[in-house]
Amino acid sequence: MPNAILDPTGRTSHRAPAVLAKRPADLSGAVIGLLENTKKNAVEFLGELGRLLVERHNAAGTVLRTKTNFALPVSDELRDEFARDCAVVITGVGDCGSCSASAVADGVTFERAGVPAVVICSDAFRTTADAMAQRQGAAGYRYLTTPHPVAPLAPDQIRQRAEQLLPQVVEILIGQSTVEGSA
Amino acid sequence: MIDAGKLDTVRETLAADGYLLDVREADGRVAVAISATPDACEDCLVPKPLMADILRDALGVDTDAIDLTYPND
Repeated sequence: MPNAILDPTGRTSHRAPAVLAKRPADLSGAVIGLLENTKKNAVEFLGELGRLLVERHNAAGTVLRTKTNFALPVSDELRDEFARDCAVVITGVGDCGSCSASAVADGVTFERAGVPAVVICSDAFRTTADAMAQRQGAAGYRYLTTPHPVAPLAPDQIRQRAEQLLPQVVEILIGQSTVEGSA
Repeated sequence: MIDAGKLDTVRETLAADGYLLDVREADGRVAVAISATPDACEDCLVPKPLMADILRDALGVDTDAIDLTYPND
């Protein structure tokens, strides 16, 4: 049976409208923050994306950190560390209901802290991810999905998934908007 | 009015984490019971306020007309 419900909504009440972080022109020389949420294969998935960004987009390197709990929001300390040390952040993998909601909340948090962010969820959890975006005052927040489930994938499958998502990751990190219909 | 398509989507989302959804309408209220299968993912269920937001769209009623029950209630 499940334990008590953990609350990923965190800092949610009466938020200002979504504000997007300013995007870099490219990722050359950028330090890529990777926030993995402890879900199986999350560190492998994010690590592969980071490796590809270094190899193909001349990113300077990666900083990998781990959330204390996949269902809870990123801590203020980690948010501030990424905002100070990283040009962009990739977070995930939202491979369950609470962690997909939490990942989207984290993405919005990073954007509001001035760090362009990419959130990766598995496609079974669009409903919870969208609901969290709306609750955060960021309806239409753009996140990336990969087919569910991620947990049982083998290393070569993880590499393949990362390869498939890479163009969209770059597009979001250096693009103009991750919130449709927001100022 | 319940949107069957949206409710099916909620059901599928819950099933991906090993949970089942039961919905019953009575007297202008909707009772929603979420139960866990033996394979349910611990800590994967979203908190009730967020679930109520999701159900509001699917059930076509305000959240205060939804009586939501979780496995450990």
